[in-house]
Amino acid sequence: MFKRTFSTLLIILLISNYNSIANNLYDKQDWREEEGIYTRIYDAKIKLISGEQTSIHQLAAKKPLIVALVFTRCAGVCNPLLLQLKENIQIILRKNQYKFSVLVLSFDPLDSLKDMQNLAYRFNLLNEPNWELAVVDSISSMTKSVNFFPVWDMRKKQYDHDALLVGVNTQGYITKKLIGLRSADEISLLISDINNVYRPSYRLPTPANMFTCFNYDPKTGKNTPGWGLAFIALPALLTVGILAFLRLRGKYHS
Amino acid sequence: MQQSLLSLFLILSGIIILVFILVYLSSIQSQPQQGMKNPLQKRFWFITIMVVVLGMFFFITIPKSPYYLYANEQPARIVHTVSSQFVFLMSNQDIDPAQPMGENIELNTNELVEFRVTSLDVTHGFGIYNDKYELVAQTQAMPGYVNKLRWKFSEPGKYYILCLEYCGSGHQVMKSFFNVK
Amino acid sequence: METKKLNKITALWIVAILVLFILSIILGIIMRLNQGELIKIQPPTFYADMTTHGVTMIGIWFVAGMAAVNYFMERYVKTSYTANMFAMVMTVIGVVMLWLSTLVGNFHAGWTFLYPLPFKIMWSTWATPLFLWSIGVFGIGWFVWTISLMAAMLKKYSMSQVLAWQHFGKKDPEVSTPPFVLISMISLIGVLTCLIAAVILLILLFAEYYSGGTFKNDALLIKNLTYFFGHTIANEMLYLGLAVIYELFPEVSGRPKLKTTWYVALAWNLTLFFVLAAFFHHLYMDFVQPEGLQIIGQLASYLASLPSSGVTVFSIIVVVFRNKINWSLTNSLFFIGIVGWVVGGVGAVIDATISNNFILHNTLWVPAHFHTYNAMGNVLFSLGFFHWFSKYATNHSLPDKYSFVKLAILIIGGVGFLLAFYIAGADSVPRRYSTYPKGLESAKTLAAVGGVFAIVYLTGILSFFVNISKRCLNVLFQRS
Ligand code: HEM
Ligand SMILES: [Cu+2]
Repeated sequence: MFKRTFSTLLIILLISNYNSIANNLYDKQDWREEEGIYTRIYDAKIKLISGEQTSIHQLAAKKPLIVALVFTRCAGVCNPLLLQLKENIQIILRKNQYKFSVLVLSFDPLDSLKDMQNLAYRFNLLNEPNWELAVVDSISSMTKSVNFFPVWDMRKKQYDHDALLVGVNTQGYITKKLIGLRSADEISLLISDINNVYRPSYRLPTPANMFTCFNYDPKTGKNTPGWGLAFIALPALLTVGILAFLRLRGKYHS
Repeated sequence: MQQSLLSLFLILSGIIILVFILVYLSSIQSQPQQGMKNPLQKRFWFITIMVVVLGMFFFITIPKSPYYLYANEQPARIVHTVSSQFVFLMSNQDIDPAQPMGENIELNTNELVEFRVTSLDVTHGFGIYNDKYELVAQTQAMPGYVNKLRWKFSEPGKYYILCLEYCGSGHQVMKSFFNVK
Repeated sequence: METKKLNKITALWIVAILVLFILSIILGIIMRLNQGELIKIQPPTFYADMTTHGVTMIGIWFVAGMAAVNYFMERYVKTSYTANMFAMVMTVIGVVMLWLSTLVGNFHAGWTFLYPLPFKIMWSTWATPLFLWSIGVFGIGWFVWTISLMAAMLKKYSMSQVLAWQHFGKKDPEVSTPPFVLISMISLIGVLTCLIAAVILLILLFAEYYSGGTFKNDALLIKNLTYFFGHTIANEMLYLGLAVIYELFPEVSGRPKLKTTWYVALAWNLTLFFVLAAFFHHLYMDFVQPEGLQIIGQLASYLASLPSSGVTVFSIIVVVFRNKINWSLTNSLFFIGIVGWVVGGVGAVIDATISNNFILHNTLWVPAHFHTYNAMGNVLFSLGFFHWFSKYATNHSLPDKYSFVKLAILIIGGVGFLLAFYIAGADSVPRRYSTYPKGLESAKTLAAVGGVFAIVYLTGILSFFVNISKRCLNVLFQRS
């Protein structure tokens, strides 16, 4: 019996030496969400679709903002971004008590206030209390201050750009960003973040890890167990199982 | 702070050692088999006192945990920190992992600083030492995670960063600094 | 015949453990002298040395506890000689693999081999799998041993009997569980749990290693598993030692056997849970870990100290206080070991407080406290057993010579060695530094002083080694 175990082990060992692993495990992190955090957002003069003139800092002072950057001719990510945001916010509003409003800004020089009004109409946002749509005085200062750099694609006649949400607190500081289409949980996290709810740390978006310990649930403020946590509980469960088995076997033999 | 913990430790250890010496002496001096009177009752009091003392310690110390430090304030400064074998990079701007670059950091006394600490490779430790080389604060630098450490420096001077998690053969040379005005 | 076999294998364990212990102490002294700049080795060599020292020490004192428990378990139930032998073979293979990987392959990720450090190869490429497999080999051997001991107990006792539940609320139940059986079972359950954690840990690490980078682990999860295994095994090996003390201390002192009472039963049952949750204190400085677990960590660490001090330590004091007992080298070692254990526990509780950990984590305070309850606690428990066994198995009844001198050397060496660690810890000196940077003024001197005291400690150990191993070799080569 020893011989067999031993030789199996040796074989495994030999095989293992020929394997190597990829070294650059962590280069794929998306760090852009970290850019410009805690800088003040550019205090653009904006014109709301209601016709009111104000500035971003003034608006933020009333309620913290989620700023979304879109252009009305977009055939790409803008539509799903707004649709999903609207849907998610409806879910969140049922549970989250924090204040915030969504400010949709156009980054296309060709967009007029009228285009934004149409956009609001299309997405049925005209009567949504938490939503504002506007055009800004200087698009380049705006995009620069949030590190958002759309590229004009001549062929498609479209801007190539990210889906970006920027969280701005009442002092006008950018406290968190979300890139890409994100879940209600993550948007809820963003909302508590712009309300200056301090959390000592967070995960970076990484290429999907299968087993992580926790998923933070901002709605309840609790961490819900991820698959990884099951791994931490598993040893105890297996131990109980093994004990039960040993006892049954012991009873049977004696 | 560390020195008072050492004193606490030495005093408690001294008491414990003394008790054991007394117990030993009572054994070699005693008439045969007198024993302890009412051991169960003594045991009960001993455990009760332990529970009370530890319970007090628990409730006093938990709110002082670093997770709650300055949680209700707005940081005046953000210092992005990236560690990798075997350097720390600190910057006022966010750091691009493809071309990580640090810069000299100057902080002011009594302003709330938030260090956002992460790692590009293995786990490191981010230990802040003052110019007398006393450890004042620390957090871990774990790949894939950002730890936010908030701190206010009351003393101006040069501060050093030493690595406080073993990270390979250059662990002991991993060092950086910043200034507080 | 059967006892002869058991005696032989126990004697073999003792000799092997002591030899490895002495070698590992020498590695420890080399580290301390290098930190004190009395000698000079290269950093990779230092860290390979540190890794070897750490894993070997944990390994040998774990098997020391297991061998002792196995030996006394035979008084109550029939244990398996094969499993014992199998564990021995696997331990030896494991040690050879380990030392090859560290001393030849120069693997040096530390005894906790915290992910992803083992995969950032700074050594021979074959050393990483060899090291991980050495842990696997230990794990398999010890797993089988643990299971076989548990199975032996569960053949005779029911689940509730072996955990002494019948003692709750009843003064004299029909079946009384001996404290030794209870404590062994509690410790073995803990051991089994952390070995399973080790298996899961290794599977995840191997999955990443052999997937060539397509499967990636989560650093936080792996750190949790690492300390689930690492912290828990280091803790449980102490409890194995305590089981032996419950059995042997009254016996060699000429006092009646300790009995299981409701509070003994309760204390040990609670200990099982507290110890399993205490490992969270290794992650205090990972602010990503949810706060709830951090607080559980501090709570469990505090609570774990209650039953041990209130029941175990108190029981020993009750045996000794104002009772003329037969003091011998064996129970002196036990008695001093208990002191070391308690003092180390004080250092541990201080460090297990989150707000203190903020300025003590990964300073030399950590090696300070765990060396206290190992070098001055667990080692003395095992040494007491080794000494007693070597005399008992050879029918050696002459009184011990020079006991006082031997103990004094051990205590002086140990206390000096440990104080140097504690003071350096309070001076913020980081742990695991091959040499200290300029500015940490006291670090170097303290290291040199600690190193010298460690040599004194080694002298003490050698004096024990000579007599114990001589007698154990006699047992080993007795004709059967
Ligand atoms: C007198 C005997 C001993 C000496 C001189 C010694 C010395 C050392 C030294 C110098 C270190 C490195 C400290 C640092 O982080 O800078 C160390 C680490 C360690 N020692 Fe010992 N030690 C001794 C006994 C023991 C015993 C009995 C154990 C039993 C468990 C033990 C377990 C460990 C462990 C687990 C580490 C951590 C290794 C790591 O960080 O990877 N040592 N020891
Ligand atoms: Cu490092």
